[in-house]
Amino acid sequence: MVDTAFIVEVIIIWIKVVVVALVLFSMPLALTWIERKVAGHIQVRLGPFRVGPHGILQAFADMVKMLFKEDVIPDRADRLLFKIAPLLMMVPVFAIFVAIPFGDKVTLPFTDRELTLYISDMNVGIIYVLAVSGLAVYGVIFGGWASNSKYALLGGLRSSAQMISYEVVMTFAAVGVVMLANSLSLVDIVRSQSGGFWHWNILYLPVGPVWFFIFFIAGLAELNRIPFDLPEDEGTLAAGYHVEYSGMRFAFFMLGEYVAMVSISALAVVLFFGGWDDPLGPFAFGIPPILWFVAKVMVFIYIFMWIRFTLPRYRYDQLMTIGWKVLIPISMANVLVTGFMRI
Amino acid sequence: MNEKKVKIVKRDTPGALDLAKKTVFLDFIKGLSITLRYNLSRSITIRYPDEEKWIPYPRFRGAHTLNRDEEGRELCVACELCVKACPTNCITVVPMEDDTGKGIADRVAKVWEVDLARCFFCGYCEDACPTTAVRLGRDYELACFELDKARKTKEELLKPQSVPEDFEGGIIVQAKLQRTKSGIKVKPNLWKKKEKK
Repeated sequence: MVDTAFIVEVIIIWIKVVVVALVLFSMPLALTWIERKVAGHIQVRLGPFRVGPHGILQAFADMVKMLFKEDVIPDRADRLLFKIAPLLMMVPVFAIFVAIPFGDKVTLPFTDRELTLYISDMNVGIIYVLAVSGLAVYGVIFGGWASNSKYALLGGLRSSAQMISYEVVMTFAAVGVVMLANSLSLVDIVRSQSGGFWHWNILYLPVGPVWFFIFFIAGLAELNRIPFDLPEDEGTLAAGYHVEYSGMRFAFFMLGEYVAMVSISALAVVLFFGGWDDPLGPFAFGIPPILWFVAKVMVFIYIFMWIRFTLPRYRYDQLMTIGWKVLIPISMANVLVTGFMRI
Repeated sequence: MNEKKVKIVKRDTPGALDLAKKTVFLDFIKGLSITLRYNLSRSITIRYPDEEKWIPYPRFRGAHTLNRDEEGRELCVACELCVKACPTNCITVVPMEDDTGKGIADRVAKVWEVDLARCFFCGYCEDACPTTAVRLGRDYELACFELDKARKTKEELLKPQSVPEDFEGGIIVQAKLQRTKSGIKVKPNLWKKKEKK
């Protein structure tokens, strides 16, 4: 049953996948530069300035440096696991973007073909995203285990404990959103929030902001970013799970972390900030929805960087306390309240 | 007997106000507002070799310079007091007789050399000099690739300084990085002042 329409459909999906993958691969280049600039300006410095105008080519210089570095594998490392760990970290975070909707349907110019600005509208999108993002922790654990180094192992173990605690919290936050939207599909979740910022889940008072904060804190922990960057705690673990990695393998870890940051930002936008929805609703003045989506994601990325250069790192027991004793009880209470509100 | 009194410090139990502050993340908001303020403020970085350069105050003790009087005669009379005063023995002076009017007296320096690799810029030579011929100037870019280049001869030292003596200093001016055959120089433009707060 292979006809032209089917082939065109397959080609379009291929093109979408390639475009998304290319954008995501080039993202860390821009993000490292932005992160260093934000760091610089928060610390009243300028950040990178010498490679290209305002140091904009710094990331390319770093990439070239990484490519030419020696690929060191420690003596008694588990060679197979050591080699696949960076990929295990990287692949799931790319896979998340299969389900994330960047925009609604658009009509292609010169043809009547309708194009959806998401690769797939799964009816269980949110479960898929949570499951796949949970897989990324295997890269961290394997990297820590295979390095045959105490610091790396401790980093990996911390990461696994952190993931287990915060995966629960994050799933709770997702449950809250699902209760508000009555759907597991990310596209439907966005559609349920359309029509201006007062329809967004974040403003579904009083539970919306609470769900958002729970999601945001859990997201910070999932990303291993300050204040929850215990797996790569410089002070006590040198560099944590990637202490033995160098060159391109290390770059893969960094790539994974940055793309994960984009994915959590995108997820926060989709779940709480109306995705591609125009905040002005009926008074919109024609900015394409996809640009709104990108702008919202950029704001979130800035917030992640801003927090990174503001807060100190939590202690390990504090991290666990926040997860199990604060966030989970609040989530449970919030499920109850949300349930009553939706009756 | 002296009984030691132990003061029992009761830890404050968190009140309702503290709890309220915690729930709205007050401390976080304070911290974030401070970093945001810094993020939007101007950076204090001096873009030194590329665009800006710090001109020191006149009291700054940089590389040596030998002065001339108004008529262009060398002020140095090769009395060798600077050599005596120098704690690191980095100055070499060889006098010679000369009555052609090159110097202010009939005795001038045949050799006046300073080894900047040894000098620690104490300024004793400046203090010892009876004719104010030797001064420590305001040039501070003294790095060089060969040790020989750190020895400055009389001819180099007699050249006028890049910053005039009466220039106020203590400011950041516009500058340009220049790569020449003799090395890398940062040329200041003394009249283009850059404000930094």
